Amino acid sequence: MADFPLVLLILGLCLGPLLLLALAGTLWSVLYPFVFLWGMLTSGRNLDNMIQDTIDRERATKESLGRDPLTTVDGGYRTDVHDTGLVYASGVFGPSYWHLLIAWFNNLFGGTVTIFQKVISAGRAEVMQRLRENAIEAGWDDVVNVRIDTADMTPQSSGRGVKGVEVFAYGTGVRYS
Amino acid sequence: MEQVVNGVLVVNTETIPGKLITETLGVVSGSTVRAKHLGKDIFAGLKNIVGGELSQYTELLQESRQEAVGRMVADAMSLGATAVVNVRFATSAITAGAAELFAYGTAVKYE
Repeated sequence: MADFPLVLLILGLCLGPLLLLALAGTLWSVLYPFVFLWGMLTSGRNLDNMIQDTIDRERATKESLGRDPLTTVDGGYRTDVHDTGLVYASGVFGPSYWHLLIAWFNNLFGGTVTIFQKVISAGRAEVMQRLRENAIEAGWDDVVNVRIDTADMTPQSSGRGVKGVEVFAYGTGVRYS
Repeated sequence: MEQVVNGVLVVNTETIPGKLITETLGVVSGSTVRAKHLGKDIFAGLKNIVGGELSQYTELLQESRQEAVGRMVADAMSLGATAVVNVRFATSAITAGAAELFAYGTAVKYE
């Protein structure tokens, strides 16, 4: 009976991960309604807080500079440029499960899906503000030729997975001499 | 966030403001596919329930993008370029949690 613990060890190693997975699955199915409820209660306020935070920082930046450092025009016409370089900022933003449910109902009746528009435009404003902050941190006076890209984090082919949209803003930082 | 990556100037304008481009050397590109480990994927999935920013994925894409730009610059250096102009980025999600980042531009010499 000397090899009895060895058998137990091997059995444990084989079944252990499965048991853990089963435990996690059970725990998830029990907790899911509560988590969903919590998301329902907090997600709206979280989104509003994020929007307000972005607005405050944007106002602070614009007031301290007296202008918006971002422009979408090509800076080629300026002749007094001393230095240039790439500057970019990004963020991944997702609607909550509650928002997805609202959007699903919204989809039934058609028209504007306001909740998605709110989530994505909040994300875009936040990323634009990050681009301003990155540019100021790197010492650029202006950012020209700003482009904004939006990419879906979850491929259309797979229904499962994280629901999120990546917003990416980039431009060329310029320093005037 | 380097303004000059390995001595190569990287801008997304067609010309370099204040500089004169003397020679174009062709299209250069760099791409990378990266994923986060399972733990971060699970955290991102949990964060998705309440919505808002999924910072794990923001981080993932930032790292990937830096790598893609680095590879594009290495490509440009192998052509003997001193700058890459008109840089564009493209993103595609292969599966949930893995992203392909692609950066491309035109390698040039400037004076």
